Amino acid sequence: MKLKLHVWRQKYGKSKGYFEQHDVDYVSEDMSFLEMLDVLNEKLLKSAKEPIAFDHDCREGICGCCSLTINGNPHGPEKATTTCQLHMRKFKDGETVYIEPFRAKAFPVIKDLVVDRTSLDTIIQSGGFISVNTNQPQDANALPVDKKQADLAMDAASCIGCGACVASCPNSAAMLFVSAKVSHMGLLPQGQPERKKRVLAMVNTMDAEGFGTCRNFYECEAACPKEISVRFIARMNRDFLKASLSKED
Amino acid sequence: MGILSYLQSSILSKIVMAVTGAMLVGYIVIHTAGNLLIYSGQDAINSYSQFLHSLGPVLWIARIVLLLALILHIWTSIVLKVSSNEAKPEKYAVKNYFKAKLTSRTMLWTGVAVFLFVVYHVSHLTLHITNPEHVVNQMYLPHGLHLSSAASALSYERTDVYRMVILGFQNPLISLVYMIAVTIVGFHLNHAVQSMFQTLGLNHPKYFPTIQKSSVALSFIIIFCLISIPISVLLKLIGGNL
Ligand code: HEM
Ligand code: FES
Repeated sequence: MKLKLHVWRQKYGKSKGYFEQHDVDYVSEDMSFLEMLDVLNEKLLKSAKEPIAFDHDCREGICGCCSLTINGNPHGPEKATTTCQLHMRKFKDGETVYIEPFRAKAFPVIKDLVVDRTSLDTIIQSGGFISVNTNQPQDANALPVDKKQADLAMDAASCIGCGACVASCPNSAAMLFVSAKVSHMGLLPQGQPERKKRVLAMVNTMDAEGFGTCRNFYECEAACPKEISVRFIARMNRDFLKASLSKED
Repeated sequence: MGILSYLQSSILSKIVMAVTGAMLVGYIVIHTAGNLLIYSGQDAINSYSQFLHSLGPVLWIARIVLLLALILHIWTSIVLKVSSNEAKPEKYAVKNYFKAKLTSRTMLWTGVAVFLFVVYHVSHLTLHITNPEHVVNQMYLPHGLHLSSAASALSYERTDVYRMVILGFQNPLISLVYMIAVTIVGFHLNHAVQSMFQTLGLNHPKYFPTIQKSSVALSFIIIFCLISIPISVLLKLIGGNL
């Protein structure tokens, strides 16, 4: 396969970025998108050019490290797929492919396609945990959890924190991410004591980190490699409203 | 900061949008139903208007509440738009949408168009500024009075809303502007009604699909009902005698 790549290059955060064109002819249908870039980087290195910087780690769709906005879609055109799991057979021979970093004020570019997603960690630090004293673990069956509730909590917990929701949102809202994190604990008994504090703290941190405001375009749900539903956003809005009206301190 | 401090919170801003939007939706549904009285003839719609005016302070409270809702709705929507733009300072060179629709992405612009139309519409039909020649009074006989018992029907007068609307829509330009404006209102509602439920946290797999379909249906029903009036006037199906 041949492809016409337009890759975003940016020397460092503050410098001006631009698209660099690479006509590649080595692409096999069985390569992943990142492998396709690996080969390009090998070639760049061999001709003593600066390789393209991009994020990756597990390459099996579970860590949330890979990113890239491919032809206008975070993680590319394929539904429920991370960039590392995206195969080149999803592209047509001769296709033009634009590769851009995840864009949002809260995700400043570090270099080329690598962005700083620390703001998501800051949100987690503000409330994405439960406080328990370390001790003997409790018997697993001592805390009854409704099966449906557990399944829903698992759906929320499948968020890998990649930030595709923010990248796809025209308003750069982080509501899908935050709602998944708020919900997976809010749905389980262990999450109840800090439920109100958690949702208020995480939403306020989200606002402070410079994310935009959700306007119900539902683009995040379509971009999410784990298909997290916008129903979690409705659930978080409910939780947030209840907590705002009834917080004790 | 006081009362406007809700604007600091994204979710509270959204909730203000949804609650004020719900009030405006309630208004537009009642207003549309009231307008359809024109098909029942001159007396029906004039009596309805007379009834509304007879409410006195209640009418004024409703007007003030709706006006405040509209101002909050518009102000919040502008603040949200500005903060959204700030949150995405660098746009994508290529953008491909899966779920964001034209209706959802143009809410501010359809909203602004609706607002401009509302200003004109109120100037025409409520404040009687733009076409004062459309405003005349109707002589009428109150219920329970007979010609014989009334000293003179001439002493009973009320605004002839029927004539004002018909004369307005007999002007093709006014009709055209109205039909375009009403379609834009429908565009706004198409996304707005289900969005309001989602914002208020009312999204459940059991009923949300129905809400989404009803939102679209409501927008088409409103467009259809309101557009039918100028069309009927232009085709002389109603008011042909004026
Ligand atoms: C007849 C008048 C109007 C009605 C019935 C109406 C109704 C609504 C409703 C129900 C919503 C959904 C709120 C939500 O997402 O939770 C909405 C959203 C919105 N309205 Fe209106 N509206 C009207 C006029 C206006 C005007 C005059 C403007 C602006 C100049 C405006 C701008 C917006 C914007 C930008 C949104 C999207 C807000 C967001 O989701 O962030 N609307 N409207
Ligand atoms: S590299 Fe881990 S999810 Fe893609």
